[in-house]
Amino acid sequence: MSNQEAEQFANREYDAGFVTDIAQDTLPPGLDESVIRFISAKKEEPDWLTAWRLEAFRHWQTMATPDWAHLRIDPIDYQAISYFSAPKSKDDAPKSLDEVDPKLLETYAKLGIPLREQEALAGVAVDAVFDSVSVATTFKEKLKEAGVIFCPISEAVRDYPELVRQYLGSVVPPGDNFFAALNSAVFTDGSFVFIPKGVRCPMELSTYFRINASNTGQFERTLIVAEEAAYVSYLEGCTAPMRDENQLHAAVVELVALEDAQIKYATVQNWYPGDEHGVGGIYNFVTKRGDCRGDRARISWTQVETGSAITWKYPSCLLRGDDSVGEFFSVALTSNYQQADTGTKMIHLGKRTRSTIVSKGIAAGHGDQSYRGLVKIGKGADGARNHTQCDSLLLGDRCGAHTFPYIECSNPTATLEHEATTSKINEDQLFYCQQRGLSEEDAIHMIVNGFCKDVFDVLPMEFAVEANRLMEVSLEGAVG
Amino acid sequence: MTDTHDTVAAMVAALSRHEAWRYTKLSPLVAALGAEWWQPADQVADSHTPAPEFDAIPLDGTCDLPAISRQRQATPEGGHDAPFTAQLNRLFARQTTAIRLTDGSHPEQPLLLIQRADGGACYHRHTLEIGAQSAVTLIELFDSGRSEAALCSSHLQITLQPGARLTHYRIQQQAASHHHLGSLQIEQQRDSHYRLHAIELGGGLSRLDLTIHLQQPGAECDLNGLFVLAGTQHADHHLTIDHAAPHCRSRAEYRTVLDGRSHGVFNGKVVVQPGAIRTDSAQHSANLLLSKRAQIDTKPELEIYNDDVQCAHGATVGQLDDEQLFYLRSRGVSEDGARTMLITAFAEAVIMGIRHDPLRQRVEQAVLSKLNNG
Repeated sequence: MSNQEAEQFANREYDAGFVTDIAQDTLPPGLDESVIRFISAKKEEPDWLTAWRLEAFRHWQTMATPDWAHLRIDPIDYQAISYFSAPKSKDDAPKSLDEVDPKLLETYAKLGIPLREQEALAGVAVDAVFDSVSVATTFKEKLKEAGVIFCPISEAVRDYPELVRQYLGSVVPPGDNFFAALNSAVFTDGSFVFIPKGVRCPMELSTYFRINASNTGQFERTLIVAEEAAYVSYLEGCTAPMRDENQLHAAVVELVALEDAQIKYATVQNWYPGDEHGVGGIYNFVTKRGDCRGDRARISWTQVETGSAITWKYPSCLLRGDDSVGEFFSVALTSNYQQADTGTKMIHLGKRTRSTIVSKGIAAGHGDQSYRGLVKIGKGADGARNHTQCDSLLLGDRCGAHTFPYIECSNPTATLEHEATTSKINEDQLFYCQQRGLSEEDAIHMIVNGFCKDVFDVLPMEFAVEANRLMEVSLEGAVG
Repeated sequence: MTDTHDTVAAMVAALSRHEAWRYTKLSPLVAALGAEWWQPADQVADSHTPAPEFDAIPLDGTCDLPAISRQRQATPEGGHDAPFTAQLNRLFARQTTAIRLTDGSHPEQPLLLIQRADGGACYHRHTLEIGAQSAVTLIELFDSGRSEAALCSSHLQITLQPGARLTHYRIQQQAASHHHLGSLQIEQQRDSHYRLHAIELGGGLSRLDLTIHLQQPGAECDLNGLFVLAGTQHADHHLTIDHAAPHCRSRAEYRTVLDGRSHGVFNGKVVVQPGAIRTDSAQHSANLLLSKRAQIDTKPELEIYNDDVQCAHGATVGQLDDEQLFYLRSRGVSEDGARTMLITAFAEAVIMGIRHDPLRQRVEQAVLSKLNNG
């Protein structure tokens, strides 16, 4: 592949870039305690949550921005960000899709994810977050029948305060890290999922996030609790309109799996990555952590990361219960001037805990990406098992791919394996495919798809289609 | 001198926040030698007596090989980019011994460098230049004169000129009360070849910062490491292999055997610079934990700024295979015998590479006696 071809790749336009014009109830930029009280009051939150937010905020003020990641981040002015924005039409919230602002529906249509079609197509309940307030929720009735709670977290605070209070911040404490503390102080919305004991969630749950207004950071807070022997599969997908300034996204996702419970969490992330000169784009600084609290609990993270200017994200598993299982499957693609520092942490504490990590990184153009992972085997984790495979594919001579795998083992009965390879596309494979009549571009698509197959195979069906499409779009003109 | 001590105190304080010192704390040094453990011992022992069983050329004042020039000079000042171990050594090693092997020489006997600490902090500093097209073996031994608490700080800078070949055996067998802070820097020019066998057997706390600069095309390095630790021993090797030129090749194979409450740390970093095309690099860290309280922290890193590369790394942590143990037991081998056999086999992968027979026997025996007493 020549530089010129890589150049073409760098020149591809962001095809999901557009701004929908909807009046917003937006707070002026700035952050102090009054902003937090405003958000809390606006959400009609109980006192304990206001106090919780303020405590997080005070802690956040004492913290410094983390600088250990292999990323170049321009300093962020937290006072220049507006911390609240909600669609005006909140009071007469739509009861069905027909009442939803047609412009919003148009936005979804442009993205190829019309809600109605999805309703019919896959039986997926969509809790669409348009900026910070959820405006459409579907399949609520059906979920209610099964006893599943799936609602915006602000609603959950109102309707199920005890549950929220019990679990909120129990996996990612408010002071966990800089961005988690910020999120705890100012989070505006997100989803709450509760699957009661023994219930298998009747459908895959999905939320499409979308950042829209200029200058609004989006601070989502997602909390998923699966009680004993419950099962849920949750899909998260995002895409954002083209705009110039950097937008900060600092979400927190907490998963709690009790005995025998299973949670699958899948993400397709395609936020605006900035233009071909590295201007603009989303800062995606996310804290995701799952806690296998009970024996035989199981948490799996799957992610396809193709967007955002900067990604800082380490979905992790705390394997506390005996025989619990953690999984992490990731495909990350960086092109133009995108940067990603992503990976996972598997903390083995229970006996015979198992974890699998499969990470595939593709770097093109000036893209720079790092896999940063930690596998820690505690003293009591007898018979723990980990297998890690992280591969990087390099397209172009100006990209970078890095691997920082931390392995800490303090138990002699544990077995760990880590393998990593970095290379460019194999010339022999390319030649073989072309020799059989494929164009170079098709051949590269095929090879890249094969490279990512381990991860795409574990994606839910709807996402697998989307992921394939994303990779193809992303690689257009890059090669061939 | 007070300034120097303030500088060191500040450097040591900064280490607690330094990623490269995440797993290694200098508290054993403080416990053994006091808060200002870096204070140089009054007399620097220059007891370079070669071990009798080696037929080798000692690199001390008695060296009489014409191909070797040796001179002592004042340690140059300045330079702050080096790792802490090198910086500390620069501050306190008053003299540097500069050794050069002339171009095109092939001494049959290995060169022998023995470095000792006899109590208190001792600083050894050497530079070694291998002339173009020369080939030689270097045996570097760290052992202990007396058994009172000591720190051995060593800095060795090796330059391999075009086409030079060096096989380097670095054997650390200090007494348990002796601590070690080592720095090893290798500069490799065109088509040079460097092979290292670094064996960590002794010492309380032992740290090595190893930096390899593959500066010119065609340079190759082949690094082999073995830790056999027991008790409260702590060994830490931080490798940086810098691929700065095209067509270079690097290999690293590290094995650790940890018993008792010992702690092993391996950090292998391979950097491939822009333009270093056709880089071929592989590293592997295999770790065997024998005890409940032993700990291993391993991190094989890759930093790649170039697409035309073949890089791989792997790490494994495991224990003795029950089936293999059972097989040996079923053939009448005692439990201990079977364990020793399997552990030795694991360590042999590195030991067998030592092509100097007396030295290999010495290492084999040391490993065996350590396994039997541990």
